[in-house]
Amino acid sequence: MDNGRLIAISGLYKHFPMGKDRFTALKNISLSISEGEFTGFVGPSGSGKTTILNIIGSLDSPSSGTVTVLGRDVGTLSHKEAAGLRNHYIGFIFQTYNLLPVYSVYENVEFPLLLLKMGAAERKKAVLKALEWVGLSDKIKSRPSQLSGGECQRVAIARAMVKRPSVVLADEPTANLDAENSHHILKTMVGLNRELRTTFVFATHDSKVIQYLKRKISLIDGMVVSDET
Amino acid sequence: MVALKLAFRNLVGAGLRTWLNVFVLSLSFVVIIWQNGLIEGWNVQARRDMIDWEIGGGQYWHETYDPYDPFTLQDSHGPIPGELISGMKAQELAPVLITQASFYPEGRIMSVLLKGIDPDQDILKLPATALKGNENDDVIPVMIGTRMARNNRLDVGSTITIRWRDANGTFDAAEAGIVQIFKTNVPAIDNGQMWLPLNRLQEMLQLPGEATMLVLKPGDHAVTNIQGWTFRNQQYLLSDIDAIIRQKSIGGSILYVILLALALLAIFDTQVLSIFRRRREIGTHMALGMTRFQVVQLFTLEGAMHGILAAIVAALYGIPLLSIQAVQGFSMPQGADDYGLAIAEKIFPAYSTGLILGTTAVVLVVTTIVSFMPARKIANMTPTDAIRGKLQ
Repeated sequence: MDNGRLIAISGLYKHFPMGKDRFTALKNISLSISEGEFTGFVGPSGSGKTTILNIIGSLDSPSSGTVTVLGRDVGTLSHKEAAGLRNHYIGFIFQTYNLLPVYSVYENVEFPLLLLKMGAAERKKAVLKALEWVGLSDKIKSRPSQLSGGECQRVAIARAMVKRPSVVLADEPTANLDAENSHHILKTMVGLNRELRTTFVFATHDSKVIQYLKRKISLIDGMVVSDET
Repeated sequence: MVALKLAFRNLVGAGLRTWLNVFVLSLSFVVIIWQNGLIEGWNVQARRDMIDWEIGGGQYWHETYDPYDPFTLQDSHGPIPGELISGMKAQELAPVLITQASFYPEGRIMSVLLKGIDPDQDILKLPATALKGNENDDVIPVMIGTRMARNNRLDVGSTITIRWRDANGTFDAAEAGIVQIFKTNVPAIDNGQMWLPLNRLQEMLQLPGEATMLVLKPGDHAVTNIQGWTFRNQQYLLSDIDAIIRQKSIGGSILYVILLALALLAIFDTQVLSIFRRRREIGTHMALGMTRFQVVQLFTLEGAMHGILAAIVAALYGIPLLSIQAVQGFSMPQGADDYGLAIAEKIFPAYSTGLILGTTAVVLVVTTIVSFMPARKIANMTPTDAIRGKLQ
């Protein structure tokens, strides 16, 4: 990390092939995100929010420019190195929760720790603590199909947080939730950000989320049009 | 270890879907083993019946005897060699005299092989004792098989005229009475043959003390290099049935491969459907930090564990089922004994350790391979596409 900068983006372009042509999803983006920020990419559908989040999360790579996460240039990482980066330092929260349907709540939250090969006792302690953060200690044996949308998203937050990542990337985390659940989820994340100093980066166009963001980076047609703190 | 734990968790978590796959795969285990066991059982039974009823522990043939050339029969006989007399007296050898003849059932003329056998022999399973006590009757006591009886509408008590040529080439004829109809799985000693007391046939042919061949008791050692006689061992005498078995084995192998392919097609289909349906899950695995190798490993292990569970389930219901059938036998369709092969009314499947272990190993290996193939394909998706459940 460079002077507390967790993420550094410079001259980022991302193109997708579209038939014989190509579609440019991100155009010349340069910015940085520091440790402990609670920030979000804001913009209408198709503005490039999810694309930039995917690149930061090393799920995708830049067409040109550089994106450095925790000092690692994601454009040059091999699949294995990218998986290692995600495994150790990045937590994901998806719009559709993406919980593993055949696992219980406990097993879903435990999953990232199994990949980290953490010991059983330590793992159990961490899972129970994460479920305590999101208020789901009484649901550890439930399957995702037995939970409400809000509860599912809280499980997803616990899964993202359980390994104490440096950064959590949340893509439209409240899109499938009602207002009450959305606020509950966001308050949980604000609390974790404050308590654990975890950096949260959102991609959203939901006003309920936007009002919680400390920094709003507005994107339109793949370009940063404003960056407000 | 992690992959093993996750694969097990996935299988248990999938509940009914897992057990359905496992049951289908277990069926293929059982059917493949049963089908091969049946063929093996048939082979074992056919060889055993031939040994019991026809060839014993081997045969001494008169040097000119050729069972496939009826023209040799007229001269294929000779005095029983001195080296074999003691064995014959000790009931370790059963002499058989063979000649061609004609008989006249219901006014027709039919060819027949007359075979003289000692009524006291117990080397072959032929119920020759039925010929005993009638040797000096005017009517020649004759024993025939069920096929011969059916084809010529003969029954116990039926009388027929037999016409033959003796050693001097003189034709002679006499009445013969059916005293016994035996049932055997070996058509080669039944169709077109009549068995009568050896002494009586020697007398009819004017060949006292002569035989065409001598059947050795199974397990006894043969004396070789006897002037004018050739010893044919079991291996030689079973070569025809062994050739048929080899041919059947090829057919059996084809059926084995077809059954295996059908089972694996089902598994492959299920795995492909399952894996492609779970691509969002695979994307999530990747987002959470799984490498492509770990994804492939996980899904391949799931497939292999399906195979292992299927083997266990197959054992649970297959062992009792197949054991019962190995004892009760499998009834062959009516008319199977007319196929010209030694087929019993019931075949008792024989399951060798090699068959069971081999089938299990083959199914496990191939199940693993068909799980690996779609897993490898889907692991090559970009994580962003996989998370969205998009097909490439």
